[in-house]
Amino acid sequence: MGMIYLMLIVSLCIAAFFLLFFLWATKNGQFDDDYTPSVRMLFEDEPKLKDE
Amino acid sequence: MENCYHCGDVLPRPSILLDQKEFCCQGCANVYSLLNSNSLKDFYQFEKTPGIKPNRGHSDKFQFLDIPEIRARYIQYEDEKIARVKLSLPSIHCSSCIYLLENLSKINGNVLTSQVHFAKKEAIIVFDRNSITLSEIANLLQFIGYEPDFGRKTEVKGVQKSFLLKIGLAGFAFGSIMLWSAPDYFGITLDNLSFRNFTAYLSFIVSLPVFLYSANEYYVSAYKAVRSRNINLDVPITLGILALYAQSTYQIFTQQGPGYMDSFAGFIFFLLIGKWFQNRTYQSLSFDRDYSSYFPVAIHRLSDKGTEIIPIEQLKEGDRIQLRNEEIIPCDSILISAEAQLDFSFVTGESALVTKKKGDLIYAGGKLIGMSIELAVKSETNRSHLTQLWNETKDKKESNTLERYQDRISRYFLVVLIMVALVSGIVWAFIDPSKIMTVIVSILIVACPCALALSSPFTLGNTLSILGKNGLYLKNTTVVEALSEITTVIFDKTGTLTDPMANHVHFSDENMTDELWHVLSELSSHSTHPLSKRIHQQLINKQSDIQLTHFIEHKGKGIEATYKGKTYQLGSSKFVGYGSSSTENGRVLFAKDGKVNQEIHIKSTFRSSISTILTQLTDKRIFVLSGDDEKDLPELIALGFQAEQCFFKQEPKDKAAFIAHRQKLGEKVLMLGDGLNDVGALGTANVGIALSEDMFRFTPSSDAILDAKHIHLLPRFFQVSQYAKVVLKVCLGFSITYNLIGLSFAISASLAPIVAAILMPLSSITVVFLSSSLIHFKYWRGIE
Repeated sequence: MGMIYLMLIVSLCIAAFFLLFFLWATKNGQFDDDYTPSVRMLFEDEPKLKDE
Repeated sequence: MENCYHCGDVLPRPSILLDQKEFCCQGCANVYSLLNSNSLKDFYQFEKTPGIKPNRGHSDKFQFLDIPEIRARYIQYEDEKIARVKLSLPSIHCSSCIYLLENLSKINGNVLTSQVHFAKKEAIIVFDRNSITLSEIANLLQFIGYEPDFGRKTEVKGVQKSFLLKIGLAGFAFGSIMLWSAPDYFGITLDNLSFRNFTAYLSFIVSLPVFLYSANEYYVSAYKAVRSRNINLDVPITLGILALYAQSTYQIFTQQGPGYMDSFAGFIFFLLIGKWFQNRTYQSLSFDRDYSSYFPVAIHRLSDKGTEIIPIEQLKEGDRIQLRNEEIIPCDSILISAEAQLDFSFVTGESALVTKKKGDLIYAGGKLIGMSIELAVKSETNRSHLTQLWNETKDKKESNTLERYQDRISRYFLVVLIMVALVSGIVWAFIDPSKIMTVIVSILIVACPCALALSSPFTLGNTLSILGKNGLYLKNTTVVEALSEITTVIFDKTGTLTDPMANHVHFSDENMTDELWHVLSELSSHSTHPLSKRIHQQLINKQSDIQLTHFIEHKGKGIEATYKGKTYQLGSSKFVGYGSSSTENGRVLFAKDGKVNQEIHIKSTFRSSISTILTQLTDKRIFVLSGDDEKDLPELIALGFQAEQCFFKQEPKDKAAFIAHRQKLGEKVLMLGDGLNDVGALGTANVGIALSEDMFRFTPSSDAILDAKHIHLLPRFFQVSQYAKVVLKVCLGFSITYNLIGLSFAISASLAPIVAAILMPLSSITVVFLSSSLIHFKYWRGIE
């Protein structure tokens, strides 16, 4: 039964970890623009040309 | 292929051929070859004809960017090697644009990286500051069709980030707390007090930051409101939050129960989402475009030391400034040069060029066409005639702000609520004192204004998005209510009722010889005069490759050139020598060696949807205010207007006064106009709508921007706003019912805390769902 206390704390820590990540990502501007990335991922990389 | 491969415009004949593709002009062909040679062909893969025809301006148009003060405004960061700049590129419109702009480094290696923010139509460019200057970057962008806009827009505030942080925190708390409160819902923990207390303390810890940070704007807003003796909706919300938190904390620390932290966190979470949703709608449009963002940012000033480029704020009375073709007069000035041709179409709506002579006072806002001129500054930029009118009426408008619907309600709500809580407390003091606290707090909690608080942003936010999808962009949600109360509609004539893009060109002689047509077409292509451009546009299929010589443009009068020894003239009858009028009523003559071969009439046309709009607006008073004279009255009558409804020769002050007069009669006025001229009138009206052909340029401050393509929907917009009001009433009714039922249980102390806790988020969700679905289901097939 005491196991539940431990599990609760652990799950809280995991959730807090994700929260911190979310806060960090937001502060760094990841969510400022939510449209352009959806288009950007469709661009293709140019195949590297051999040096002439 | 009938259209330019790059920009999609109609091809002239002969078209420009390159690489087996056809282009409408050399500019487009240049961009194509540039992209091709830098292996950016994919630009054309994402959309058809994604290109934008590049604007042919001066090559030193962006010279002012090299002035350190001006440059510093746009540079976000720099060190010895690199610099980073954020530029507004209004031409961004599709995914190909993102592709091209983010591959800018392939075109010019001195550009290191570039990142596009599509919704804001901005690009952040990092470049090698020692190898390329900001003005060169601007030139490059202009060359490929993405001319940067340096008008000073007020920045849309970046509330996004802090909102996301608050929402994230509240969501985290909400989810976590509900998770470990689940046993409490099922009563399991009654036997397991240590577990319950443990989770209770945990809930307290987790919800503390939510209380202190996520909800803080409500406290601030409520505090400000109370301080100015004004109650707004945030006051009961704050009271509810405080009561809920206090009660829960007390319960937790006295170990009486688990508290209501789950409802608390959930409540905050949903409230914040409602607000975030509302703010999101305005990301790409900024409404308070500074009046000065219409004027160029810098100007050439002449002094004994020579010419220097300075920001317009530094102009002082008496300074001599130089203006070039297509530049705009920044402030009232006196003309020093002998003569000047000016286009005041943004000020008066008339495209006819105005000629000013040496010594004349020229008002700010006119655009110079033709040869450079020198001017002496008369009044500094913020004191000119039109700005004054604009500033005056701007102040009047602020004090007329309509009270928000729910702010009115919330006043009564709060007062009633407190009285009910007090009375119940006193009554229970006689019956069973131990229950006083429970009753009072239950009352404050269950009587949740959250239904009220949420229905407004969601309903109005949804309304705004529906209107936006149909071409009408409102400044904020209060405009919806103002729109629903309009009794009188006033139209400006030039540019609003008339369609500047669709002038009708009429030739008196359709049977001219081919050679004459070719000459006319070629001749008219050389002038930037609007009439000439319109004629050329009409004759685009009569283009040929004949060459004219001795081309001379007499600004404002006409143009002439020689072909095969004969002199050809195109211009006003006075110019051609056939009369004394000067392009009056859009009449242009074409003559060969003095003999008139063609009389061309260019008539402004009215938009086709106007008559339909009039038939649908029968319940409103209509007026037309025009800066022109009565020459268009017969046509207006033909469209459906009455003569008494039309007023002519209206100056900006007259229009604003007219509106104020009608308002004194108790009417609610909506003004539909465009052009700098109407700014004062738009501000005086209850709702001022600026009509825009091109969404991003030259739109003065107004309450709403209407995309000209959707003008026929005007009557429908009124209906949408009225429906929104109905939905608000329905939601209000729902929340009142909920409150009455909940309160009756709370007062009789038969409201189990757990029920109150569940009811709160439940009512919030129901209201959100109700308002969103009511609006969207009604209009999901469009608002027509």
